[in-house]
Amino acid sequence: MRNPYLPILMRIERIIVETDDEMLKSFDLVFVNESDGQGFSFMPGQFCEISVFGKGEAPFGFASSPLEQGYLRITVNKAGVLTTALHDLAEGDIVGLRGPLGNGYPLHLFEGHNIVVIGGGFAFTTLRSLVVYMLHSANRAKFGEISIVYGARQPGLLLYKQELSIWGHRDDVRLYLTVDKRDETWRGREALVPNVVEEVAPNPKNAYAVICGPSVMIRYTLPKLSALGFSPDQIYTSLERRMKCGLGKCGRCNIGPYYVCEDGPVFSYAQLNGLPKEY
Amino acid sequence: MDKLTQKIRQEAARLLADHQVDRVIGFQEGTLPLRSAPVIVHDPADVDKLVWNSFCGNNLARYLRGLGGRRVAIVAKGCDVRSIIALIVEKQFSRDQVVIIGVPCQRMIDWRKVAKAVNGEILRAEERDGELLVESKGFKRSLQRDDFIHSLCAACTHRNPIVYDILVGEPVEEAGQTPFPESAAFEERSPAERWAFYKDEMSRCIRCYGCREACPMCYCEECFVDHSQPSWIAKSVEPSAVQIWQIVRAYHQAGRCVSCGACERACPMNIKLLYLTEGLNDLAREMFDFETGLNTESLPPFATFDPDAMRDTAKQDGR
Amino acid sequence: MKKIAKADMGRFIARLLEQYMVYAPVQVDDAIQFQEITTPSEAYLDYQNSTKSPKGVFLPQSEVLFRYNKGPKQVTVTPPEEIKKERVLLGVRGCDVRATLLLDAIFNTPVNPDVYYEEKRGKTIIIGLACSEPPSLCFCTSVGGTPFDRKGSDLFLIDISDAYLVDVLTDKGEKLLDDTLFRDATAADLELARKREAEALEQMPPPLEVKQLKDKLDGMVESPLWGTLAERCLRCGICAYLCPSCYCFDIVDEDYGSSGERVRNWDACMFSLYSLETSGHNPRPTGSERWRQRLMHKFNYAIGQCGDALCVGCGRCVQGCPVNIDIRKIVTDVMAS
Repeated sequence: MRNPYLPILMRIERIIVETDDEMLKSFDLVFVNESDGQGFSFMPGQFCEISVFGKGEAPFGFASSPLEQGYLRITVNKAGVLTTALHDLAEGDIVGLRGPLGNGYPLHLFEGHNIVVIGGGFAFTTLRSLVVYMLHSANRAKFGEISIVYGARQPGLLLYKQELSIWGHRDDVRLYLTVDKRDETWRGREALVPNVVEEVAPNPKNAYAVICGPSVMIRYTLPKLSALGFSPDQIYTSLERRMKCGLGKCGRCNIGPYYVCEDGPVFSYAQLNGLPKEY
Repeated sequence: MDKLTQKIRQEAARLLADHQVDRVIGFQEGTLPLRSAPVIVHDPADVDKLVWNSFCGNNLARYLRGLGGRRVAIVAKGCDVRSIIALIVEKQFSRDQVVIIGVPCQRMIDWRKVAKAVNGEILRAEERDGELLVESKGFKRSLQRDDFIHSLCAACTHRNPIVYDILVGEPVEEAGQTPFPESAAFEERSPAERWAFYKDEMSRCIRCYGCREACPMCYCEECFVDHSQPSWIAKSVEPSAVQIWQIVRAYHQAGRCVSCGACERACPMNIKLLYLTEGLNDLAREMFDFETGLNTESLPPFATFDPDAMRDTAKQDGR
Repeated sequence: MKKIAKADMGRFIARLLEQYMVYAPVQVDDAIQFQEITTPSEAYLDYQNSTKSPKGVFLPQSEVLFRYNKGPKQVTVTPPEEIKKERVLLGVRGCDVRATLLLDAIFNTPVNPDVYYEEKRGKTIIIGLACSEPPSLCFCTSVGGTPFDRKGSDLFLIDISDAYLVDVLTDKGEKLLDDTLFRDATAADLELARKREAEALEQMPPPLEVKQLKDKLDGMVESPLWGTLAERCLRCGICAYLCPSCYCFDIVDEDYGSSGERVRNWDACMFSLYSLETSGHNPRPTGSERWRQRLMHKFNYAIGQCGDALCVGCGRCVQGCPVNIDIRKIVTDVMAS
């Protein structure tokens, strides 16, 4: 019987510094033992528990799409014990991984619909997985119009600049980038994400919205979506909580009867309404 | 009804009705025999919940945490008042935020002592004229109240509230300072014996932190055991981690403990703690001539640094 | 039905000790707790209720999940060794066994089973003990149990004065018996046992209304009750740690340089650290939110998780709470609201 508490060993193959302040780094991980990688698959929105042996474990959403071969990417914000330790690691170092965990974005619902992706700051990680997956040639035709609104405090804090550039040049996705405060290099919008959503005014008909970002951004964006006619069951988000087991056993990450690690982290607002606001 | 209870209810009602305080912290009838339970009364209509009896062992100063700008009233016996003074000295709130309804303490019952003496589960208990009438399945017994006083209460030298705004009841005669039997006995033991005793007691500890949470002076927003940067001790019940946790907590009380016994009373595993805390209180008296919570002017020993005092002590011990 | 004379219990336990690791109630100073015994005389079966529940037999308070060794650019992860010696849990009450059955629903899941819990459960034989003198705090009958609840036990003992009646409930239990110490029970024995059961039931308090509690709680997400409870509560972990059905745990790495252990330890939703996030944000910042979580989990969310409330009416939280917060009163107040 497989022990779900034992991490698989992963080697850091590549480290990418994502932001100017170096507080965000992406780690591309490969399986130390090839056999662990065989049959390993995940869906956008799922997460994994990453171990730095001796420091502990923390949950990170997969930033890479399941169709990106050869590595698993996570993006880490340097904030506490474990993330600081991760940031201090070098290429070739070993970490542990348990996963995939959680429920992923409801792609079976999203297919055949227009998708509005709204992200803020470094919460864009699993949204990258979702967008790259949807834009893949094998999948693009399954979805309608895809629009992305992504904002950060400053231009240097936007993640995945390479991907953003690619998406900006594609004609099968509409990308609306914005920053709270521009710098000398920035020629794009200077506006808060909720206001950009209002300006873009996505059509709720036959559409789903996925929103991930700081709670203040979400708090001001949800009413904008509501005013546009999006109902709570059309709006999805990915929640975060302090997690330990990731298996629905240690008890701590619940919101009402749902465990963020098992029944989530992806929830619709229809599910969340009426539950204690413990997120 | 007991006169003290009546007076407490009257004062509480008056303070609440006049909006002098927004809550009264006191005791109510417990749901278990020999126990009264802390209660917070907000509405003058609820003051009839308040009682006073020999089962009011909790230190209510614990509930003065996070007062902010509020003004509250608190029913306080001798040790509770000392805690209030100690908290004022440590700048947790100011004197004018607390209306002290002081009650000279009749010495509180140790319900565990009673349970041990009665051969059967105690179903009901009543205090009447110096007697404890306990009822078990199939029999009733009358016990002498004074035989079941908590060991700390028996040794208490500050039963009268040192400060108060309202005094309920008559002042009582204070006893002279006597060594606390358990810490004196501990002192007599050899270091090896002390270690064996300590190790044995702490082997039952389940790190529930009942001792810490019951103590009015353990108000740190994040206790050292919860730190992760750095991580001071393991979080498990591995013996050395428990042993460090307990001794450090005791030492964090040195010069701050008011001998209320809340820690030992709270412990669900009946672990002895008072021999440690009283031992430290004895040292504070001996070395620094200091007793916690007697006035708002004296700073606790570990909040002051007197190089001369240190030098003298070192000479004395010959170290 | 079999029976064993009380005078023979010592020999029975001695036989068990030859083959099994035996956990039994032991008097340790003034506390009664379940722990491993090495001699029969340590077992104290005449107890009313133990201070701590026996859940540590299946979910130890501190448990190593794996050991790791770090070298340059390499790590080895070693799970603990398999349990070699089977265990016997002797003298456990029906309420505590019932709690174990509830925890089974949470830990023994088809997907991602908790292998540590499962192994201990599978390798333990449970000898239950009927509760002939239920303490006045108990309310098992309010939450679907009874003092003579034998569900989940492999053998079930009933005190009939100078002997124990032995209900043999499973094959696992049967293999513990031998002919020399166990005789067939007589009709008189069975009658006495029935009498004891009726007496015990009579001592139980009138049942609390728990069945409709979930529906009431559904509408109480925002309720002043949580603030009222939080006012008195000390936010220690006594209620959670004494409870046989509280199971939340924390996981930490204890590092010793190039090697270390990942350990899980009991945790409690009452602690502020329980849900504190690295950013400093705490979705349950005060005792109010934590009391809501505690009560909701036990009497509402648990219904979905394991089919029943996560409370077996053992009364330990009532006995242990330093400020006399009484779950029986809370339940009554909620139903009356």
